[in-house]
Amino acid sequence: MRLFGIETEYGITRDDVPEIDPVVESMELVRAYLEASFERRWDYAGEDPHEDARGFRVPGLQQDKEEDEFAKVDAHRPFSFYEMKSDLVLPNGARFYNDHTHPEYSTPECRTLRDLLAQDRVGERIVLCAAQRRNRALGGDHVRLYKNNTDFHGHSYGCHDNYLVSRAVPFPALVAGLVPFLVSRQLIAGAGKVGTEAQESRYVPGQYQLSQRADFMEAELGVDTMHDRPILNTRDEPHADRKKYRRLHLIIGDANMCEYATALKVGTTRLVLDLIERGAMPNIELDQPVAAVKQLSRDPDLKAEVRLKNGRRLSALELQEYYCEAAGRELAGSDEESDWLLREWGETLRLLAQDRSQLVGKLDWVTKQWLLETFMQEERIGWDDPWLASLDLEYHNVDPEQGLYLGLEAEGKVWRMTTDEAIDEAFQNGPSDTRAGLRGLCVQKFSDQIKSMQWERIQFAGGLGTPNLDMGDLFNPREVRRCMDIFQHAHSPADALATWSRRKDMET
Amino acid sequence: MKHSMMPERREGPVDPMPKSPSPEEGSGPRRPDTGSPDKDILMKRMRKVDPKQAERYRQRTGE
Repeated sequence: MRLFGIETEYGITRDDVPEIDPVVESMELVRAYLEASFERRWDYAGEDPHEDARGFRVPGLQQDKEEDEFAKVDAHRPFSFYEMKSDLVLPNGARFYNDHTHPEYSTPECRTLRDLLAQDRVGERIVLCAAQRRNRALGGDHVRLYKNNTDFHGHSYGCHDNYLVSRAVPFPALVAGLVPFLVSRQLIAGAGKVGTEAQESRYVPGQYQLSQRADFMEAELGVDTMHDRPILNTRDEPHADRKKYRRLHLIIGDANMCEYATALKVGTTRLVLDLIERGAMPNIELDQPVAAVKQLSRDPDLKAEVRLKNGRRLSALELQEYYCEAAGRELAGSDEESDWLLREWGETLRLLAQDRSQLVGKLDWVTKQWLLETFMQEERIGWDDPWLASLDLEYHNVDPEQGLYLGLEAEGKVWRMTTDEAIDEAFQNGPSDTRAGLRGLCVQKFSDQIKSMQWERIQFAGGLGTPNLDMGDLFNPREVRRCMDIFQHAHSPADALATWSRRKDMET
Repeated sequence: MKHSMMPERREGPVDPMPKSPSPEEGSGPRRPDTGSPDKDILMKRMRKVDPKQAERYRQRTGE
């Protein structure tokens, strides 16, 4: 079992002022979630988006110039960089902060889909709670949050899925194994979109697509995330022991509302990574992967075929079937979660080919298409009606009183894969089998004694020589639980660290 | 938020994801009923959406 997690940037808007400053609004939203004054805790050491997994360091990113311009503006603001970021680490081990112009929720690291789904839904609750508090302060229902990826004006923001991968796997093997899978993954993980656009370009209504992000994919590989977005991001920021691990940071995915789609998106990617690690991935190479992303997204009838390097042509369904069959041959019987995934993946592909209506409430693009077509019939309007883009947007509204997906959920018309009770629990605690549970426990128990923290390390306050809790290689679930047990029963972080250190010394 | 109790720990194998019930089994969500949309709460909610909302919705490029 490997670690995985999802980072979601939320769209934010406010309707009581003619123009909003997204930096301020995102900061205020995150701050609204706080019940005490903000304290700078997040440690940015180890965050370097210029390191490239292909074995070099890029001198600059395309967004650097833009960021420099923003920094000049930010310098005149009445708050510091750290205040603007307002980085919070939550009791469930998650991170909630202002990613400059969007509130972002990063789930705690999870080892099971069951945990991930609950933690992803916790993020929706947190941004909703923050919006409600912010609206109370503003005196009206003005601020709205959207779990989507486009503003229909040529601006996209991300939902990134992340996976811990052994550094022993050569990066070219990851590229070869993943690119055709990711190009066709939108078939099960696309959130659906009305219209077409491109980076900083005019929106054209009318065409229904599988994916919100496909229009913004412009390269096969690359370290950039805001311009020339790649199918496979090469950023090398492992947030773990660099000698042993990589963190695969995928930026091609859409933000999903359907729990089932989230489960399949992350779960099937996990299976493909398992295949790659075993050297058992299908030998498929696309001729033009970037063009293929757009071509497949703009074909909701699933008839389009993309060309392979060997001259063959395959549909998105056939590409996914190749991977699904290879995973079945190699991974069946590995564990219960893998078996569930193999069964549901195969069944989903069968239904996409034979009876798509059965996937309403399971896959976002199918659900949204059904919803919009029902509305179009009622109102006697066509795909080019601008009303549809607004309905598309509202599908992703995180307010249960307004959101169309959440309205469907309230009517019992979507497939729940988690429960409200599991979400309540995930809100309180991180997974007990990953370092995120330990991070969350430290926030709960020793909050006033934490000097700084990040994904792989916690620095406790104290005199010189106070040791860190280093979690860069803490991935064994049994070890995590033992460490959590020590921290749970310790009177202070220093006691816990001393006990943990002695325990490790005895074993070496 | 402070908690003196740890959540119950999973010591055994992780449960698999719940099996998707078929619509006929009656134990899962029903397939959406596309009949009588005029009586459907969701259709009313959709009609309330301002057609110009997406036109006004502007974001900055994110990651």
